[in-house]
Amino acid sequence: MSKLRQAAVDKISAWSARRHGVDSLPITINRRRIYILPTRFGILLGLVLAAMLLAGLNYNSNLGLAFAFLLAGVALVTMHHCNRNLLGLQVDVTTDVDAFAGREANFEFVLRNDSKVERRDVEIRVKSHAGMRSVEPATSASVPVAVAVLERGVLRIAQFELRTRHPFGWFHAWTYIQGTLTAYVAPAPRGARTLPPAGGGSAAASRSEARGDEDFAGLRAYEPGVPLKHMAWKVLARGGEAAVRTYSSSAAQPQWLDWASLEGEDTETRLSQLCLWVLESEAAQRVFGLRIPGKEIPPSRGAAHRFACLRALAVYGIAEPQ
Amino acid sequence: MNAEPVTLPQLLGISACLALALVAHAASLPVWVLGVVAAAGTIRLLLARRGRPPPARGVRLAITALAVSLLFLQFRTFNGLTAGSALLALMAGLKLLETETRRDIYVITLIIYFVGMAALLEGDSFWLLAYLVGVCWLTGAALLRLTTTVPVPDWRRCLLYAGRILSQALPLALVLWLLFPRFSGPLWHIPEARRSAASGLSDTMSPGDFDELALSDEVAFRVRFAGAPPPAPELYWRGSVLHDFDGRTWRPPASASFIAPPLEPQGPAYQYTVSLEPHQRNWIFTLDWPSHWDLPGALLTADYTLMRREPVAHELDVRAVSYTHVRSSEALGDSLRRRDTRLPAGRNPRSIELAGKLRRAHPDDLDYVRAVLTMFAQEPFFYTLTPPKLAGNSVDEFLFATRRGFCEHYASAFATLVRAAGIPSRVVTGYQGGTFNRFADYWIVRQSDAHAWDEVWINGRGWVRIDPTGAIDPARVEHGLSGAPGAEEPLVSRWQRRAPWLADMRLRLDALRQVWRERILFFDQNSQQRLLEWLEIPEPDGQKVVLLLTAALSLAFCWLTWQVRREAGPARKEPLIRAYARLCAKLAAAGIARLPHEGAEDFAARVAHRRPDLGSAVTALCRHYSGLRYSSHPAPVSIGRFESAVRAFRAARPTPQDSRGS
Repeated sequence: MSKLRQAAVDKISAWSARRHGVDSLPITINRRRIYILPTRFGILLGLVLAAMLLAGLNYNSNLGLAFAFLLAGVALVTMHHCNRNLLGLQVDVTTDVDAFAGREANFEFVLRNDSKVERRDVEIRVKSHAGMRSVEPATSASVPVAVAVLERGVLRIAQFELRTRHPFGWFHAWTYIQGTLTAYVAPAPRGARTLPPAGGGSAAASRSEARGDEDFAGLRAYEPGVPLKHMAWKVLARGGEAAVRTYSSSAAQPQWLDWASLEGEDTETRLSQLCLWVLESEAAQRVFGLRIPGKEIPPSRGAAHRFACLRALAVYGIAEPQ
Repeated sequence: MNAEPVTLPQLLGISACLALALVAHAASLPVWVLGVVAAAGTIRLLLARRGRPPPARGVRLAITALAVSLLFLQFRTFNGLTAGSALLALMAGLKLLETETRRDIYVITLIIYFVGMAALLEGDSFWLLAYLVGVCWLTGAALLRLTTTVPVPDWRRCLLYAGRILSQALPLALVLWLLFPRFSGPLWHIPEARRSAASGLSDTMSPGDFDELALSDEVAFRVRFAGAPPPAPELYWRGSVLHDFDGRTWRPPASASFIAPPLEPQGPAYQYTVSLEPHQRNWIFTLDWPSHWDLPGALLTADYTLMRREPVAHELDVRAVSYTHVRSSEALGDSLRRRDTRLPAGRNPRSIELAGKLRRAHPDDLDYVRAVLTMFAQEPFFYTLTPPKLAGNSVDEFLFATRRGFCEHYASAFATLVRAAGIPSRVVTGYQGGTFNRFADYWIVRQSDAHAWDEVWINGRGWVRIDPTGAIDPARVEHGLSGAPGAEEPLVSRWQRRAPWLADMRLRLDALRQVWRERILFFDQNSQQRLLEWLEIPEPDGQKVVLLLTAALSLAFCWLTWQVRREAGPARKEPLIRAYARLCAKLAAAGIARLPHEGAEDFAARVAHRRPDLGSAVTALCRHYSGLRYSSHPAPVSIGRFESAVRAFRAARPTPQDSRGS
């Protein structure tokens, strides 16, 4: 039975894909792409209403009929409201997705509700994984959906689904969005080696820098991606340009995470070790660079840098599609 | 998603809704069923409060089996409204006991709707419908609280939303109700449960027993005359006719004959509709004497009482025609004459002696009847609603000892005296008079209008109505019971006499009730036809009703779609931004369009440069705008002032001179 159901669902989604073509995100959900069907309880309610109608007609009870018709009206209204719960919503997905092999790709969707009514219990479903949120009027809400991934590489999902059973659970409205979700699945972060010292492995340099990570070294111009706690707020408050404080250790000696330093290991082990080091370096707020065959990422830091490194590790040895 | 466990507040909400729905239907349910449901709900709620799961499956099954078999033992069937709804209520209670997931709650809501329906099939009041719509509203709010995402909206918000859904459903419901085709008869036979409590006229009469009916203010029936009503003293509403007297109790004949001898009408015909309240008897009250009626299966007995095979268990409307004056030239058969002159042997000897004395003085039948009435009028007979109790020889005791009584006493004593003289007579019970509702033009006949009178056979005239109570106090016949002086009247009527506005209010309420009954409860095929006629649709028939229904439903659907889509669109801009947009539009029409990146002050500077004539006005408006826009809480008053300033602003087209200058 569930196989049959799955086959039907696949048919419908394929048909919808042909009908609407590929969507580019962000997308506003229009009414042509919302489908709606009664749920199991909707069907049961329909049967109950039919029985009530028959009873009302048979007993010639105008009050009974009024009650049955009111309920039928309520059912029809909830059908409209169920449809309306998705109508006009704007859907987007953040591009930098954290994903590690053997764990999950954490997609983060953003639902924007420009209308003046709340959108309750909107579910976003990617394959069999789902997240649910309610969006207040004139706000956005992010909906995290974790998709399990097994292998390193590029994860591409061609379609996802928005669905809702609001308000009474009698109807089920849904829409398919043919927007490609991309996640660069980094290797599973693991390894036995400790983080190599800064300055390309020179012991002397490492000692000289051991004095302090926190030594203030000066100001440099602000650029996006810098940790907030390094911002020079006082300068900004005095009316100056946005600036960032730099520290001697990180400023002076960039640290290289080098493929070549992991001699004698196989490719996946090396990638996993490098991945772990990237995460550790970022956690320690160091400035680091990544060197793997065919690619060198100059030292920097911040979320964008971290993501670029993880992405390089994810696609290593895999033809990166454009 | 439906398998998610429910929380305690969700469970509480749905239990409350179920309880409220059952309250509406409680009168028709066995008490123990209500007890089981209440116990099941309480146990489940207590368990949920302690965070414990519902009882084990085996326990639940055992309870279910026990309860269902008990129910079967009581009713011997699950068919029919009472047994069916009792079973449903039981299932709801047991479902509550096992409620674990959202799925169970959905099932309970369906049962709530069904119970509401069952209550409405038996009840007929506006308040019941309103109450059940309220229960639906609450149930909707309870369903809205079955949400997965936090925060769960509070009750107020859920009620508002559920209320909006209900109000949007109203037009659809109204269209369906007005135009959904009705059937003329039931689709299948309904086993009618006789309700135990019967209020109304009894089919026997025992003067001397206390009769609480006379004090009851309940409505027996209402009557609307198609034309002018007969004068009030002629409003005799015929019920059953009693022939057999055992000295104490008058009874109807054991078997009724349905051959009514023809009557010759002597006066105008009165056409009217009687709206009966259920009274659990087979007879239908009509104005004395009925000649035509539109109730299939109803027959006139030999005593001119309109009877139906089934008791009147639901409200019933009957249209009929009656004549208040009739005569019959036929002779009375011997066996009937014997029956209607028979008196119990050895009872009431003094009365029979008195009758013999009177008869010797008045050999003519009519003279004799008049003599008896004169005796009632001249001797000290009193009218009271609380007469002393009478024993075996009730007529003797009444005529010679107590001399106090109401219509039953007088009717019984009169019939006895007339029969003792060898003149056929019988007792008729029914109602007399009624209250005219001047607000809606109909008569209300209450239980306190119950009356008993006599009919006497006069050769050549047939049965003649004699009301001996009228001989005592004529006001009694004209104004009904509450008009009788010295009577212990019902509390309500005593109040009404003190405060006439209260009586008016009561009549107005009753008029509303009558409208409810005529327009809503008895809405049928004919009413639909009249509706189509009112809409000036030629030759209304069933097909056109269906066509109209389809059209009206489509219209209602379009309205609903429009309503719902409108909310889904982007919210309307706030008034300040709208007003500024209008200002920009005016300037654009005058030839200076605001650039998308241009701020208000920059724009004003550019306008002042290009159109010096508008410069000062636009600069002031733009400064006003930015002041309002960037203040944290602009007062609505100042926004309104800005709006009207924008409205007043006129930007003339640039003169050729000006354009040369720029």
